[in-house]
Amino acid sequence: MTGLAGKSMDRKKHRIMMVSDFFYPNFGGVENHIYYLSQCLLKLGHKVVVVTHAYGNRSGVRYMTRGLKVYYVPWRPFVMQNSFPTLFPSLPIIRTILIRERITIVHGHQAFSTLCHEALMHSRTMGYRVVFTDHSLYGFSDAGSIHMNKVLQFTLADVSQAICVSHTSKENTVLRSGLPPEKVFVIPNAVDTAMFKPAVVQPSRSEIVIVVISRLVYRKGADLLVEVIPDVCRLHPNVRFIVGGDGPKRVRLEEMREKHSLQDRVEMLGAVPHAQVRSVLISGHIFLNSSLTEAFCIAILEAASCGLLTVSTRVGGVPEFWNAVLQGLIWIHFFAI
Amino acid sequence: MVKFSISKGRYTYTHDQKYSCENVDIHHIILKSSRANYVFVYTLAVLLLASALYLCILGEKSISIVYYSVLFDIFLVKLLLRNPVKKESVVIMPAFGVQLETHYMSGKIIRCFVPIDKILKPVLVECVTPVTCYWTLSLMIRGESEMVLVFKSLRPPVKMLVHVWKALCSATDIKEEALNTCTTNN
Repeated sequence: MTGLAGKSMDRKKHRIMMVSDFFYPNFGGVENHIYYLSQCLLKLGHKVVVVTHAYGNRSGVRYMTRGLKVYYVPWRPFVMQNSFPTLFPSLPIIRTILIRERITIVHGHQAFSTLCHEALMHSRTMGYRVVFTDHSLYGFSDAGSIHMNKVLQFTLADVSQAICVSHTSKENTVLRSGLPPEKVFVIPNAVDTAMFKPAVVQPSRSEIVIVVISRLVYRKGADLLVEVIPDVCRLHPNVRFIVGGDGPKRVRLEEMREKHSLQDRVEMLGAVPHAQVRSVLISGHIFLNSSLTEAFCIAILEAASCGLLTVSTRVGGVPEFWNAVLQGLIWIHFFAI
Repeated sequence: MVKFSISKGRYTYTHDQKYSCENVDIHHIILKSSRANYVFVYTLAVLLLASALYLCILGEKSISIVYYSVLFDIFLVKLLLRNPVKKESVVIMPAFGVQLETHYMSGKIIRCFVPIDKILKPVLVECVTPVTCYWTLSLMIRGESEMVLVFKSLRPPVKMLVHVWKALCSATDIKEEALNTCTTNN
């Protein structure tokens, strides 16, 4: 997401509406992507408005850095942070926002967001140009995926362009939605290196610290962690684990810790606020990612940017940027010496 | 004496000086009454009654269905054609306060006075509801967590609200300057 050269200033300025169920105050890959992309667009002189559902008391219009206007529409989240799928009742508010902000482009994020699908459908009906970014890989066989893929086919039938975060993700999206591949662009995610930079003083090498920061859910391979951690601790007495993050599988990890008496070797931090992720990362030597599926995995990039060695399951879009990560690591260690 | 007036859709904004004292400012937002509302509601009520009568006479249902439909009609008319608002006014008396008036079609007037030293700042706020988004003019009151809406029933366009907001700002600024000069003199 680097800025373009000066000639972009001569181009027409757009008024962009980003739509997703996932935005601040939630922290995650999609949320950060929308925020950083909006900031880059604002820096280039375009106007950006974000539309999302209300989070608790946070409802109405809020302004963020550089005048980023966020509409927290007062709908309650239904399941997994998604708004209730209403189809036509969402038309009045979407239409009102599109007209009062004089929007030119509508950009929807994440296939799992019902608000995104409805906004794209209504925008396209009203004739606006529409872009869709897919952030995750999804399956084809279970009931939830089948229904969502059908909805995706409807929504993306008439989209102007689509963006995916890796070539694997592009293949997955094209197969699920039936989009022609020439309409899909691959734009990988990026990390803010000003925020994620290596520690000035490297942690001591007397013991090896392995850091894991992820949502502790099935999809992120929390069950694999439960199997792997006791074996590694048994084989290497000088290894220590730091596990950050929360989720339904946290209980399993705590049970594993109790069962193998690893309380002094496995530290559970709970949910780590985004601002403190870097300080947790730089306290370790190795970053472990055990996801079962990843379209991109920005966590690996963040860890590599902080100077950690990264170990990951070879899934989804991870192998695509692996070489770049390795080269980057060599440079980081070269400058650190 | 009408100083200034703009009209858009169903709303008309007028700024006048009814009193000879030049300091007192009055701003009105007048809503043009629409016949369409009445026609629609009464047609609906008549249709409902007609279908109830049809069911009763030709469909051989009991007469109670007509009674219930009459009751429902009365309830519908009361609900949809409640006391409509004719006009909302803001009377600004610079050193004294702001009076907010709501004039109803029936002739009833509800007044609300806000002393000038209770007003922290008049603000234009965007309100987002599940179906729409609109601008309102509100007064931030010292010591209260809730703001006071200047126009409680009507939703005039933002171009009209801006004029009233500017007048309120200048009235509250004058008061603040007077307060500051008082404190510096003392």
